Amino acid sequence: MFIYLLRRCNLIFITAFILTVLTFILEHWHNGALSGESNYVSAYYQYIKALLEGDWGYSIVDKLPILDKGLIAFASTLELCFLACLCASIIAIPLGIFAGLDRNHRLDYIIMSIVLITLALPVFWMSILMTMLPHFFGFNLPIDGNISPIYEVPVRTGFLLIDSLLSVNTYHFDAFFDHLAHLILPTIVLSLFLITEIIRLTRHSISIIMQTNYIKAAKAKGLSRLEIIFRHVLKNALPSIIHQLRVQISTIISFAMTIEIVFSLPGAGTWLYNSINNADYIALPTAILIISGFILISSILIDIFLMLISPIKRETLYVNIKNKCLHMFYF
Amino acid sequence: MRILIVFVASLFLNGCYQKESEKIDSLVYCTENAPLSFNPQIAHDVATLDASTYQLYNRLIKTDPISQSFVADLATDWSISADKLSYTFYLRKKVQFHQSERFTPSRFFNADDVLFSFKRLLDESTAYYDLYQDSFTMPLHYLLRDIQKIDDYTVKFILKKPNATLLANLAAPYSVILSAEYAQQLSEAKDNERIDYSPIGTGPYQLKNATQALQRYEAFPRYWGKKAQIKHLIYAVTPSSTKRYTKLLSGECDVITYPAPSQLKQIGRNSQVILNSTPTENVIYLAFNTQKYPFKRLQVRKSISLAIDRQTLVKALFFQSAVITNSLLSNRSWAFNPQVKDVIYNAQESRKQLQNLNFDFKQKLIILIAKNDAAISPNFPKTAEFIQANLAEIGVNSKIISLPPRELKRRLVRADYDIYISGMNIQSNDPDSLFSSLLSCNIKVLEGNTSRWCSPETDKLLTAARLENRFTQRILNYYKLQSFVQEMRPYLAIAHVFRMDAFNINIKGLYVDPLAGINFQHVNKIKEP
Repeated sequence: MFIYLLRRCNLIFITAFILTVLTFILEHWHNGALSGESNYVSAYYQYIKALLEGDWGYSIVDKLPILDKGLIAFASTLELCFLACLCASIIAIPLGIFAGLDRNHRLDYIIMSIVLITLALPVFWMSILMTMLPHFFGFNLPIDGNISPIYEVPVRTGFLLIDSLLSVNTYHFDAFFDHLAHLILPTIVLSLFLITEIIRLTRHSISIIMQTNYIKAAKAKGLSRLEIIFRHVLKNALPSIIHQLRVQISTIISFAMTIEIVFSLPGAGTWLYNSINNADYIALPTAILIISGFILISSILIDIFLMLISPIKRETLYVNIKNKCLHMFYF
Repeated sequence: MRILIVFVASLFLNGCYQKESEKIDSLVYCTENAPLSFNPQIAHDVATLDASTYQLYNRLIKTDPISQSFVADLATDWSISADKLSYTFYLRKKVQFHQSERFTPSRFFNADDVLFSFKRLLDESTAYYDLYQDSFTMPLHYLLRDIQKIDDYTVKFILKKPNATLLANLAAPYSVILSAEYAQQLSEAKDNERIDYSPIGTGPYQLKNATQALQRYEAFPRYWGKKAQIKHLIYAVTPSSTKRYTKLLSGECDVITYPAPSQLKQIGRNSQVILNSTPTENVIYLAFNTQKYPFKRLQVRKSISLAIDRQTLVKALFFQSAVITNSLLSNRSWAFNPQVKDVIYNAQESRKQLQNLNFDFKQKLIILIAKNDAAISPNFPKTAEFIQANLAEIGVNSKIISLPPRELKRRLVRADYDIYISGMNIQSNDPDSLFSSLLSCNIKVLEGNTSRWCSPETDKLLTAARLENRFTQRILNYYKLQSFVQEMRPYLAIAHVFRMDAFNINIKGLYVDPLAGINFQHVNKIKEP
């Protein structure tokens, strides 16, 4: 276990090193510090030192610390991703189970055709469509920004859902509900993509598990279908679904950023887009560090989580290490 | 468990109730651009005027929206001397200035503030003069010799020559009154620029905070006149016109500015939305570079003018938001000459004339336009493309160059263009502000004379009209000037634009001043039935 964590941390350090070198080049390129005879290594050391001390530079537009701006913007993106994941799981996991249980039956075909069609829709186009469609059908949902400008919610955690709950004294729950209303349409668009992804993963992993011997044994034992699903199938299907979703985190975030730009949600995507338009290029390395840092850390956390819930994962892990050791021994 | 459900449900109800009142005293105005500053003395783009003139400041006098006569604002009364050279204004007492985190006024408004506000525009020796550099306040320079303080509540304006336009100029947005005490405090802190960006005025609203995307105002509780009913006034910058309209429909905006011209018809059909169009004197024109061939030749200017189908242009691009014009001056102005000759579109005639003039059809004309012009709203890129197509029809090649403000200024100074398509926002209803800045030899290209027009005869006419005392003679002078300019054709006037706004049916009392911007002072929001 300890060795496993150590290896993961190693991965973080190497990736972080490559990332900081990249952002270092980006940041020092445009302000011209890389030309001339300055010492790259000492400049890089200074850069890392400043990063660790939290001095990430200031935005040229409003002279605010860029790290704070980036984190607040990214928090808003995460909020959107979280809500979309929540919605998508509630809808997609049952559908995926149905499709997986009756593989190659009518229900499976219906669900999978819908999934394929949705998967083929470009997400930015869906967002543009979503800004118009609801009004056409008589639903008045907000399409711009993340909260009505009437509410002035002070930034405390950066997560507006929490901040608006903290401002209950001034606005009761209005600000919170207003914010939720602003999130409905972007969440729908993002969760459409997620739903297709989760349905496909669930269906695949369930249909594989349905063919294993222990399910056959369970059937032979006379367990009902429901019992089999809840007791054996779900438990064994979940780890591989989560594992696959981990790979999709970066896709989800980049989709969320695209959607934000269409809906003018002040998240990481809008922030980056506006910063680049205003020639505030320092936002670029900051965003790279924040977003890739998040993806790194979260994927490692998911790995650890998977290891905790799934004995099979743990098993393969030790086997791998043993193999590695043997290899080393041979050479 | 049940108690919990009841509790949550009650919270919901509570929330709904609160929401209603929260919305009644707040108003969201969706604008196209963020204001360049909060002081109409230094910027005259629509966004600045909307954000400042009526909301933050008062002037000595203002124009009554109905009778169009001058009425009291910060001056309660005024008198004119027998020789018509000096105007004495008696100021309102007990008028409070706004209070901000950094500034607490220690006294009421008085003559010092009036002196400071105007000296800032006129007197080069004051500390704040260099902050302001623009030509649109020029009329005041021509008019005023001096401003004197008689006592704390009496000021005297002394003119260079008798001139009827002083009152119009004092009612123009650039004649707002700022706080001298605030300026004093800022100069001590060496923070002079703040006066235009963290404004202190006497208006019905005070600025709470402002970013590029959002400007928040609060009703000023100690306002001297009728207090504003909307407590929280919010300007939300939404650059896309379609999105502004959608936000109006979804209730995110209460008032929007400049809906897309192509949607005007549809908006007009919506019974929940009121479309307000105010004719302005703002003009869109095409300037020929008269210092450079081919447009140095008068006949070429005239022939090319014939090739431009302005009727179709206005119909296709501006729909109901503009009206075609023959004159730079709007027909709403008292100096408008109805007998100015019309330029009638005739492509064949134009081509024939150009051939007779031995016009070089191989050359490529340069059409210059501003990219993202914040000062004036019309759609210049499409206008330029339309004119390019018109020119192509008669076999004249052209190239459109669209530049951001800084590059544009450089290019204009360099005179590297043949045609410049632009517009002008008019703020004073005196025609001199329009004609002088477009046609006078003394005015540089960046100050407005983009056709680089300079003729002694025009200057003579301009001066004569400006200095003329008798009103009828003055009108005649402007008539002459307009016919002459039309004959010489340094500019081809295309259209006069309307100021368009749309708002929800529950908004009452909104007034849009075509010269000075929007006024939210008397607005109230009724509950929707």
